[in-house]
Amino acid sequence: MSRAWLARPERLMPVVSLAVVLASFLASPMVSGRQLELFDAYNALQGFAHLGLLALAIGITMIAGEFDLSVVGTYALGGMIAVSTGATSPVAGVLAAVAVGAAIGAAQGGLIAGLRIPSMPVTLATYIALLGLTNVLSGGLSVTYPNSDATLWVDQTIAGIFSPRSLVTLGAFLALALLLGCTRLGRELRAIGGDRRASRVTGVRVDRRLVGLFTLSGTLAALGGALLAYSYASANPDPGLQPLILAAVAALLGGVSLAGGRGAPLGLLAGALSVALLAQIVVTTALPDYSTQLLYAALLAVIVAIESPGLHRSIDRIRARRADSPRRYPCPKP
Amino acid sequence: MTPADDPRHSAATTAIAGSPGLTDPKPSATGRVPRRPGPLTAASAVLLLPLAVLAVTTDRFLTLDNARAILASAAFVGITAIGATLVMIVGSAVSLAASQTATVVAMVFLATQQLGLLPAVLLALVCGVVLTAAQGAVVGYWDANPIVLTIAAGFAVGAAATWFSGGTPVYPASNAFAVLNRTLLGLPVSVYALLAVTALAHWLLRRTTAGRQMYLVGENRAAARAAGLPVGRVTVLAWAFFGGCIAVAGIFLASFNTAATVTLGGTLTLDAIAAVLVGGTAIAGGRGSALQTLGGALLISVISDVLLLRGYSTGMQILVKGLLVLAVVIAVHLRTTRGWR
Repeated sequence: MSRAWLARPERLMPVVSLAVVLASFLASPMVSGRQLELFDAYNALQGFAHLGLLALAIGITMIAGEFDLSVVGTYALGGMIAVSTGATSPVAGVLAAVAVGAAIGAAQGGLIAGLRIPSMPVTLATYIALLGLTNVLSGGLSVTYPNSDATLWVDQTIAGIFSPRSLVTLGAFLALALLLGCTRLGRELRAIGGDRRASRVTGVRVDRRLVGLFTLSGTLAALGGALLAYSYASANPDPGLQPLILAAVAALLGGVSLAGGRGAPLGLLAGALSVALLAQIVVTTALPDYSTQLLYAALLAVIVAIESPGLHRSIDRIRARRADSPRRYPCPKP
Repeated sequence: MTPADDPRHSAATTAIAGSPGLTDPKPSATGRVPRRPGPLTAASAVLLLPLAVLAVTTDRFLTLDNARAILASAAFVGITAIGATLVMIVGSAVSLAASQTATVVAMVFLATQQLGLLPAVLLALVCGVVLTAAQGAVVGYWDANPIVLTIAAGFAVGAAATWFSGGTPVYPASNAFAVLNRTLLGLPVSVYALLAVTALAHWLLRRTTAGRQMYLVGENRAAARAAGLPVGRVTVLAWAFFGGCIAVAGIFLASFNTAATVTLGGTLTLDAIAAVLVGGTAIAGGRGSALQTLGGALLISVISDVLLLRGYSTGMQILVKGLLVLAVVIAVHLRTTRGWR
């Protein structure tokens, strides 16, 4: 049974990547010469909290065949709003950030679904605009968050390895897994990603789902940004493209297909955990910064190459040729 | 002295209201009534009229120095954007690796100054072309997802730049490059380079077989392949041209800054994409032209200039740029899919 269960790429990919990374994490003391501690697991989960919500936000849009580039902008804006409005009441700050993120997502989703525009240019434009907006709000500088109680609270250790931040992230993954696994929504999302026209014809309310999807991705990204800003006690107006890259690696390791129509939140969870553990391995073994970058780039490039349809075509062609070759005469065409 | 902004505004207007013939509203065979004024014309009027009024009423906007400043600031982004236009036309959407590639090119250019200007320029060009064409090959022959691939490539190139430079600025051994910072007839050399690159791209797209094939491949990749067009080769050619453009931009960036740091490329990637999209090139490919992109780059430059002169912050300039890109993307989409929704 297990072989059949694993045969599908959306299960194979996250399971294998998590297993490989976990094994290297456990083996890392052989390189670093330092025993693994509970604190390393805590740190890895902090890294997971760092990028998890962003990976989830971009991952669910990729399942539906879209690519929401604006999540990094929402991430930055969410942090900025949380920091500037949540000085006295951290919860109010998070709520404000989440509300703004949801509104931005809903507006984008409405545009994309209503006008049937490809999401890439829209979310790219929104990304640029959001960077500008964050910059305007902050005056181009990092804004510090004065409420140190909130900063300490979000990162306190719970049960040795968790923190409220990583628990919230984990909770988001599990809630979404339940929602998509137990209702039709999960299948509908994959259907939308697989063949939009066919799913429309079969009665999936594509437009509504897309609006909901982008609203959710905006919400998650803003929440992630807000929690990160509390944890750092400051908000950065331009996080660059690095968070996006890590989130994309996490989503792809999580078994999401670039073409859409494949993937699930639990796979995304495994992907995000893999990337977080990988980052922690790099920290414990004290590799230089650029080698981490090269590692992620190579991972991403390999996944993209494996996923590319042209490679599959040429492999099929080679296989067909090899199957044909012993006969030494061309097959008669029907 | 006639204000220097007039030809630019009209260039931008034609760029957006753009490509005649093909998409002009006319009654179709099915008798569908087309939208009369055309959303694009309306949108460009809505966008450009206030801009023109704002621009003319801005203090110090209508001066020769300011016109020069606008052209000069459009040059770096414009050169990159012209190359990105070909990539978008051929259907590979966008490359997110331009900044990093330009940075590496700038480092190579400055590090090889002792060989003389021409060898350094050639080496830099080769570096840019090879790095970018390699990505084009993966996209062209394997149909890889260009966005994620170029994210990865940009990351790798950036890491390599950090590795080679050790994270410290690269300084040139001689300043043979100073000639590139000169001004000719009051305009910096980079502006002439922008015009030359635009002319070359326009000629390539309109007058050569490869250029026409780029439109066909971008319009419908499967059909182009079925028709026996060399899809892979055409895609690689477009990307190689893009690489050349990035290299030219990198060379001018290096000369202008006289040293290359890891962050030299800055926001070149997004600025170039913004210029291409504002020029009205459809992201799905098969449509667009180099002249439109030139118009887009100048329009963005004019808007940034107006905002700067009126004392707005960098953030506001980025915000307006993003909103402008969004508006044009929507308008172009509505225009190209009219009647088909």
